Amino acid sequence: MAMLVQFFVPSKLSRTAYNEITNWAQIIYAFALIVGVFGLLKYHSEKVARRNNGWVYNLITIASLAIMAVLGFAYGRGDSSPFMWAFNYIQAPMQASVFSLLSFFVASAAYRGFTARNMEAVLLLLSAVFIMFGIASIGNAIPIFSDIANWILLNPSMTARRGIYIGIGLGTIATALRVILGVERTYLGKE
Amino acid sequence: MSSEPGIWLAAFLTLAIYSFLYKDNPVYRFAESLLIGVSVGFLLVVAFDSTILPKALEPLGKSFGDILNGGAKSILGFIWVLIPVALGLLMFARFVRGWAWMSRIALALYIGFGAGASIPANMQSFILSQIKASLMPFLSIDTVWGAINAVMVIVGLVSTLFYFFFSKAHTGNFGRVAKLGTYFLMVFFGATFGYTVMARISLLIGRLTFLMRDWLGLIT
Amino acid sequence: MDFWLKVRHIDRRIIFLLMALGVAVPLVMRIGLPVRVTRDVSSVFNYIENLKEGDILLFSYDHDTGTLPEMVPMSTALLRHAFSKNLKIIGMALRAEGNAIGRQAFKRVGDEFGKVEGSDYVFLGYRPEMTATILGLGTSVERVFPRDDRGVSVSDIPLMQNVHNYGDIALVVSISDDDTPVYWINYGNARYQVKVAPAITAVMATTFFPFLNSGQAVGMIAGLKGAAEYEKLINKEEMASRGMDAQSIAHLVVIGFIIVGNMAYFATRKRGQG
Repeated sequence: MAMLVQFFVPSKLSRTAYNEITNWAQIIYAFALIVGVFGLLKYHSEKVARRNNGWVYNLITIASLAIMAVLGFAYGRGDSSPFMWAFNYIQAPMQASVFSLLSFFVASAAYRGFTARNMEAVLLLLSAVFIMFGIASIGNAIPIFSDIANWILLNPSMTARRGIYIGIGLGTIATALRVILGVERTYLGKE
Repeated sequence: MSSEPGIWLAAFLTLAIYSFLYKDNPVYRFAESLLIGVSVGFLLVVAFDSTILPKALEPLGKSFGDILNGGAKSILGFIWVLIPVALGLLMFARFVRGWAWMSRIALALYIGFGAGASIPANMQSFILSQIKASLMPFLSIDTVWGAINAVMVIVGLVSTLFYFFFSKAHTGNFGRVAKLGTYFLMVFFGATFGYTVMARISLLIGRLTFLMRDWLGLIT
Repeated sequence: MDFWLKVRHIDRRIIFLLMALGVAVPLVMRIGLPVRVTRDVSSVFNYIENLKEGDILLFSYDHDTGTLPEMVPMSTALLRHAFSKNLKIIGMALRAEGNAIGRQAFKRVGDEFGKVEGSDYVFLGYRPEMTATILGLGTSVERVFPRDDRGVSVSDIPLMQNVHNYGDIALVVSISDDDTPVYWINYGNARYQVKVAPAITAVMATTFFPFLNSGQAVGMIAGLKGAAEYEKLINKEEMASRGMDAQSIAHLVVIGFIIVGNMAYFATRKRGQG
């Protein structure tokens, strides 16, 4: 409520409250991240303790987390530290590889699932094909395709997204008011 | 071919992840477990070092030092710094059976903060600005094509909003307008899919460039 | 077994292999397809180009390592443009991994231009909780970041002497792989009228067209293609431009999959198969 009121009442008191609440929110969020880490450790520890199927992988997770934390806290986060070496040669390549796997699955999904079964699917298909062709350099070599892609993006596609945004805006305001007024309490979990 | 151990390790881990494309296997699962552990360990260090230390623990230490040097006013300052730290620490109560309710206090403050901040932001950014942008083209129409586009934007916007109105059954004329909204949404999803394909292929380009250039030296 | 039925149920590993070849072969054999600069990218370029020497930019690294191949070329091109114009740059991150990525990018490109940390650029570090951070920067940068990422007090950094809040910042560039720039627009631009330019992964491109249309965003750089366009504008065609041939051929491969997949679908559907 304070965050909402101070937007319309810019007094010194409301500005002070605003500054303190934004500061507190950052600190609480940081602690929440640490809570999440502990939650993950608890989950994997239980799997290891019960010797569940594949418990060795849970142990690898815990060990790598511990090693990374020790490297970071003991040797710092400097550019040539072991912590950053692990980030550059272990974390970054693996994470980039995991995300790049999606390109293969997108191709497979396009082959198997992207069929013109009805009018909606035809529109989706045509839009996707025109965009894929138009935004790539091969489409740039034939300007008409680039122009068609731009028209789709700036008109029908943009319009639908705008409708989604207005819907999101109205929904968010309604939910936020319900939270502020205490009607919505599901975020607190089970009573 | 590279002689740097880090590059070889990165290449091995990249190929370990890609082995999943053939089938699920222990090497992939090892790499996946390693990634989770390393990523979370990284987050832990950075979150503590970047935020908790300078914004919570150091001010707490400083204000405690002020108490030892100063008087009653310093105690108030210490309490003021202690409050967010205490709220953050309360979140750990969720791990203790019977005390988990205490973690809701900090959560409630955080959710309330977000709710209050979001109302004017969403109103201004998602609703007012977007409606204005939809109507503004009508003030500067100078070609037939421009007029067609402006009308199409309004028709598309209204029909999309009709589609998302679920309190009324999508039948009759209402249903027809909602159906038109569906068509606009399909065009949007198709465009998003096209861009998604582009994005994922870009990531694959990046990894293959690393393998072929940095590791094997096949390209410059 | 019927030909089209075999085609319809082809082993997906063959699809994977064709996809990999579609990307790998053009990387080795250059074609040299043209890169056409779009209005969205040139808007960002022109905005930065028209800034005066000494104006301050804020680069927020709001992405993680999964999207490095798209984001690094983009951020490198932007940094090169800004440093070549002797603009001052403040870096920060709303993601933990973005902190490391951004710091390394600043150091790498800064050294390329002989820039000095503290005077020409500063990297403030990571802050969690986007909303509070973005709102907090509107009142006091020092309150949100009392120290930079090296641990130096912000009040002791020469560059930060004249930077107090958004009023001193000419443009915020959010380099992101999710909808974080929407938060910058909602809380930074809507409340404090700071100019925002999303530099995003291509997946998120369609999300930002409404903001471009309404003028809430200065422009947009989307994906590897956007980075290639920016490289062309700064006349330093490098990582992104090199990948455009592979991008195009891979797109044709996917379009080919869609066409063949549909042919197989209709051929088998008519016979009541598949």
